[in-house]
Amino acid sequence: MRRSMKLAAVLTAGILTLAACGGDSDNDAKDDGGSDAPKSDIKVGMAYDVGGRGDQSFNDSAAAGLDEAAKEFGIEAQESEAEDGEAETAREERLRTFADAGYNPVIAVGFAYAASVGKVAAEYPDTNFAIIDDESLADVPNVASLVFSEEQGSFLVGAAAALKTKTGTVGFIGGVETPLIQKFEAGYKAGVEAAKPGTKVESTYLTQIPDFSGFADPAKGKTAAQGMFDNGADVVYHAAGGSGGGVFEAASEAKGMAIGVDSDQYNTADPSVQDVIITSMLKNVNVAVHEYLAGVVDGKVPAGVTRYDLKADGVGYSTSGGKVDDIAEQLDGYKQQIIDGEIEVPTTP
Amino acid sequence: MTSARVIRFLLGLAAPVLALVAAFAITSLVLVAAGDPAGDVWSTILSWPEERNLANIIKNATVLYLSGLAVAFGFRMNLFNIGVDGQYRVAAFTAAVVAGEAWLPGYLNTAFAIVCAMAVGAMWAGIAGVLRATRGVSEVISTIMLNAIATGLVAYLLRKVAVREAGSNDIGTKEIPEGSRIPNISIGDGPTSEIYGFIVIAALAGFLFWFVLNKTRFGFDLRATGQSTTAAVASGISVKKMTVIAMLISGGVAGLVGLPILFGDSYAYGSTFQSGLGFAGIAIALLGRNNPIGIAVGALLFAFLDEQSNPLQILVGVSPDIVAITQGVIVLTVVVSYELVRRYGIRLEQREVARALADHPAEHPADDREVSA
Amino acid sequence: MSSPAPSLETPPSGDAPPAVRLRGIGKRFPGVIANDDVNIDVSRGTIHAIVGENGAGKSTLMKILYGVQPPDSGTIEINGAQVALHSPADAIKAGVGMVFQHFMLADNLTVLENTVLGAERLHGIGGGARAQIRRISEQYGLDIDPDRLVEDLGVGARQRVEILKVLYRGAQIVILDEPTAVLVPHEVDELFGNLRELKAEGLCVIFISHKLDEVLSVADEITVIRRGTTVATVDPQGVSARDLAELMVGSELPSPSTETSTVTDHVLLSVQHLGLPVPTGRALLDDITFDIHRGEVLGIAGVEGNGQAELVEAIMGMRPGTTGTISLDGRDITHESTRERREGGVGYIPEDRHRHGLLLDSPLWENRVLGHQGRPPSSRHGLIDKRAARADTERIIAEYDVRTPGPDVLARALSGGNQQKLIVGREMSSEPVLLIAAHPTRGVDVGAQAAIWTHIKNARREGLAVLLISADLDELIGLSDRIEVILRGRMVGTFDPASVTPQQLGSAMTGAGPEA
Repeated sequence: MRRSMKLAAVLTAGILTLAACGGDSDNDAKDDGGSDAPKSDIKVGMAYDVGGRGDQSFNDSAAAGLDEAAKEFGIEAQESEAEDGEAETAREERLRTFADAGYNPVIAVGFAYAASVGKVAAEYPDTNFAIIDDESLADVPNVASLVFSEEQGSFLVGAAAALKTKTGTVGFIGGVETPLIQKFEAGYKAGVEAAKPGTKVESTYLTQIPDFSGFADPAKGKTAAQGMFDNGADVVYHAAGGSGGGVFEAASEAKGMAIGVDSDQYNTADPSVQDVIITSMLKNVNVAVHEYLAGVVDGKVPAGVTRYDLKADGVGYSTSGGKVDDIAEQLDGYKQQIIDGEIEVPTTP
Repeated sequence: MTSARVIRFLLGLAAPVLALVAAFAITSLVLVAAGDPAGDVWSTILSWPEERNLANIIKNATVLYLSGLAVAFGFRMNLFNIGVDGQYRVAAFTAAVVAGEAWLPGYLNTAFAIVCAMAVGAMWAGIAGVLRATRGVSEVISTIMLNAIATGLVAYLLRKVAVREAGSNDIGTKEIPEGSRIPNISIGDGPTSEIYGFIVIAALAGFLFWFVLNKTRFGFDLRATGQSTTAAVASGISVKKMTVIAMLISGGVAGLVGLPILFGDSYAYGSTFQSGLGFAGIAIALLGRNNPIGIAVGALLFAFLDEQSNPLQILVGVSPDIVAITQGVIVLTVVVSYELVRRYGIRLEQREVARALADHPAEHPADDREVSA
Repeated sequence: MSSPAPSLETPPSGDAPPAVRLRGIGKRFPGVIANDDVNIDVSRGTIHAIVGENGAGKSTLMKILYGVQPPDSGTIEINGAQVALHSPADAIKAGVGMVFQHFMLADNLTVLENTVLGAERLHGIGGGARAQIRRISEQYGLDIDPDRLVEDLGVGARQRVEILKVLYRGAQIVILDEPTAVLVPHEVDELFGNLRELKAEGLCVIFISHKLDEVLSVADEITVIRRGTTVATVDPQGVSARDLAELMVGSELPSPSTETSTVTDHVLLSVQHLGLPVPTGRALLDDITFDIHRGEVLGIAGVEGNGQAELVEAIMGMRPGTTGTISLDGRDITHESTRERREGGVGYIPEDRHRHGLLLDSPLWENRVLGHQGRPPSSRHGLIDKRAARADTERIIAEYDVRTPGPDVLARALSGGNQQKLIVGREMSSEPVLLIAAHPTRGVDVGAQAAIWTHIKNARREGLAVLLISADLDELIGLSDRIEVILRGRMVGTFDPASVTPQQLGSAMTGAGPEA
C-alpha cells in the first residue's frame, strides 16, 4: 500500500511536470506580447517588505510616493510584497522577476533587501535599483541608496516630549528591536536629554527578531503604552508602524500625549485619538521615492547614497493640530543646530 | 491477488489526482470570485520553471525537507513538536557563532558547527521531552513557550555578538570563513543555478529516518508507542524514556534545518535569517504522511508553491493574499484526499478479510436445528 | 417516517399484533458478523430473552431496534405498524427504550437531574418531574429516591435509575443489554423482580444475555442468534442450559475441564506481601501472597474491579508504587522493568486486547513483534527481522487457526476472536515459563475458546505456570488447579476447583460466603 502511494506521488510530480511543459509556450507568447509595447514608457517595479501596501508604516509611505509619481509622470507600476519568513531566494527572485519582465527601475523597500539587491544588481547591470534604508551598496553603480537620518527627526520629537512632559517621565516604544529602530530610540533619548536634562525615558520594544509582528500589532502597542502611562510617563513616542494605533488609544484613555512616526499621523489616525497626537516624527519615504522617480523620468537616474536628513527635509516633525506651536521656536533652534553640525545626534542608544 | 494489487496501485494514484483536481477546481473558483484571471494564473503556475527557479525550488525544498523530517519524527510517536521553529533558530545561531569563530580549520570547523547545532537543537527539544516525561506537561504547550524563549534568547545573544556592515541596518554573526562553507552544486549555468551541497546531508537524514523507524528495534518501539501508549507499556517499552529520546532526535534533526542556508547562502545568522520554517515543517510532515519520500514530495510542493508567489504577483497581478489562499487550498485538498483514500483503503482491506473468512470452510458444520416452542 | 404512539389500552392477547416484530432484518459490515434474515416476534407483557455468543449479532440487532443503525434490509413493526427508526429519538417516540451495559449517568448529579436531562419537556425539571419519578418508582417497585446523588448509589440502584430513565420517557418496550454482567447474585435477583413488575404492568422487556441460567429463570421466550441470524425461538420450560448453549454454538459444547494434575513442587512465581497503597483511601492491593508452581494453573476469581487488573499490572511491572516482593523462578524481579520481566519468560495475555495487546493499525507480523522486540525471531542485533517475524506469524496463523488472508493484514481488520488467537499464539511462542492470562477467552467464539483452552492445558502439561484471571467461573473451575478469591484488593479464600461450585465461589466473591 505504502509503496504504491509513493509511486503515485512520484507519478503526480510527473504529471505536473508534463502539464508544465504544455504550458510553456503560453508563457513565451505572453512575454512577446510584453516586449511589443513601446519601450519609452517607464515601468516601475516596487518590492515591498512584509506588510506591503496598507501597513500604515513605511511600506505605505513608499506606496504614497509611488502613487504620487505615477499620477504626475504617468508611469506604469507593478507591486509585490514579501511574505513573512520567506527565503532569501524569494527576495532575490522577486527582484529578478521584475528585471526579467522589463521593469526598470526596481525599488526595494526595506533593509532586508540589501543582500538581494546587491546580488541581483550585479546580474542585471542594465536595470536600475533603489533600496530604502540601506547604504551598504553605495559603490554599486546601478543602485541608489535612499537613507534617512531618523535619529535627527527623533531628536526633535524627543525635545518636544521633554518640553511637554509634566511628570518628568516620557516613553519610547519600538516595534521590533532592530538597529534601524534603535536609531529612533537613540535620537529621541538625546533630544529629551538636551531639552530637559534629568527627564526619565522609559523604553521598550514590542517584539524581537525574527518576530516582526511588533510592527503590526495594536494590542501589543496598547499594552506597552498603558504600562508606561501607569508608570508615570505622560508622553509616549512610538516607532512601531501599525502597532502605533494601540499607543494612541492608550494615550487617549490615560489622558496622556503621544508622538507619531513616519507620516503626519495627526491627519491619518482615528479622529477619536487625534487629540493626543502632539506631533509626529516625519520620515518622508514618499518624498524619497518621488524624487527618485522624478530623476528617472528626467533621464538622470540617481545613484549612490542620497541622505534624507533634516537639512534635506527628509525627516522632521509635524505641527498639525498646533500642539507644539508654543515650543516651535525651541524645536527649530535645535533643528538649526543639528543642520549646522553643532549637535551630533547619536545613532545607537 | 493481482487484481487487489492493481486496485491498491490505483488507490495510491487516486489521492494525488483527487487532490490536484479538487485544488484546481476550488482555486479557480476563488480566483474567479476575486476577479483574477484564472487562466493566466494556471498558465503561470504550470509553466515549466526556469533553471534558476528550479534551483530555488530544490534549495528551499532541502530546508523544508529537514524541517518536515524533524516534525515527522515526533509525529511518529504522537509527539507534536511545535517547537522545531525555535529549535532550528537556536541551533542555526549556535552553528553560525561556532563556525564564524572558526576555532577549528576548514571542514573540521563545519563538522563541529553541525554537531553543535544538532546538540543544541536536541537539548532545546529535550527540555520539552523531559517536562513531558517527568511532569506530564504537554509538549505542545512547552514547545510553544520554548519557541518564544528561543526568539528572545537568540535576539539577545545576536545583539551581543553581532557585527554590522557599514551602512547596513542588518546585524548578523561573523561570516563563516570560506574554507568552512559547504560548496553548492551546480545544476546548470551560473551561480543562480546552484543548489545547496547540504542536500546530500538532507538525503542522508531522510534515509536514516526511514532506516531507524522501519528497520530497528528502537524504531519499532517508537512507532508502537505512537500508535498505542498502553500497548507499548504492556509490551515492555518505557514510554517516558522513549518520549525523551524521540524529542532529542526530533530536536537534533531540527538543528539541521537552518544549516543549508547558513553554510550555502547567508554564511551568517542575521536579522533577515529565514524564519517560520518549523511551522512549514508541520504542514509538510502532515502532507508527506510522516514518510521520508512523502515529506520530500511535500517539501517540493511547498517550495514550488512558494516560488510561484512572485510571478503571480508581478506577472499576473494577483494579490499576495489570493496567492496565500491558493497555496492553502492545495495543501488542504492534498491532506483531505489522502485521508479519504486511506479510509477507503482500510474498508477495502476489511472487505478482503471478510471474503477470505467466507472462503474458509465453516468452523462448525452448519446444522440449524429449529426448536419450536 | 411513520412512528405512531403505541396504544396503551389494548390488553395483551393472542390476537393483538406483537409489540415488536422484526422481519428479515439484515445488516452488513465489512469484516464482522452482522445480521442476516433475523425474524423475531415479541409479545406484550412478556420478557423475551435474546441469547447468542459474543459477536453473534445481538448488539447490532438491538442497535437497529433502537435506531442507532439503520438495517440494510427487513422491516420493523411496533404494535402492528411498520416504523422507520433513524435515530434513538425516533425509537423513543415509538416507545422503545434501551438500557446500555455501561451506564450513562452523571455521577455528580441527582437521580432527578439525570432523569430529566434531555427530557426536560416531559414533566419539567422540578416538582412535576419529581412526582412522576416517585410514581414510576412506586408503580414498578424500583425503590428510587429522586433526590439522591448518583455517586452515592450502588450498581444495582444505578441500573434501576437507567430503567427509570427509559420508563420516564414513556417506553413500552425496554431493551436491556447484558444487564447482569455488572451485578452480583443478589442484585440479579432484585433486577429480575423489577423486570417481572414491568411485565405485570403490560410492558415488554427484551433481555440480552449469554448467561443461560439467568435467561432460563426469567424469560418467557428465548430467541437464539447464531452468526447473525435467528436459529430458534424456544420456550424456557422445555430446554436446558446445555440445549441452549448447543443451539448458540451449533455443535457439541466443549468443556474446559483439566485432566490429571501436573503441579510440581518447584515454585515458579512467588508473590509476597504485594500491596498497592492509595494515599487517600483503601489500598487497591493489600498484602497479597501466593505461589504458583511449575505446571500449575492458579485461578483468580472475583467480581470485576476488586484488584485483578492491578494485580496483573503489578506482576507485569506496569504499576508504579507497589510494595512487597515478586520473584520469578527464584530470582527477585521486584525492581525489574516490564521488558526485563517479559524477557525473563513471562507471557502476557492482557484483559483489554485493543488497549494493551495490539497495534490495531499495524500488520499482523508487527503485532507478532510487539512485546517480543528484543529476541529472535522478532529482532536480531537491534534490527527488526521482518522475514523471521513474518514466518513466525505464518506459523501462529496456522497453529492457532487465525482467520486472515495473511500476515500483512492490519490487526484492525480481524475479528475479536482472531485477534485474541493471534495474541495467545504470540505469548505462547518463545517458550514462556509463566503465563499471565487475563480473561483469555473473553469475546471469542466457542471454537476459538476451545482452542485457547487446549493450548493452555498443553503448555501447563509441559511445565508452564499460569495465572488465570477470568469472570467466567466455569472456565476458572475447569482450568485451574487452585482458585484464589480476590475481594477489595485482598485474597479472601482458597478453593479446590474439584469440589467448589460456582455458587460457593459467587458468595465468596461478594464477601457473603464462608471463607475456605
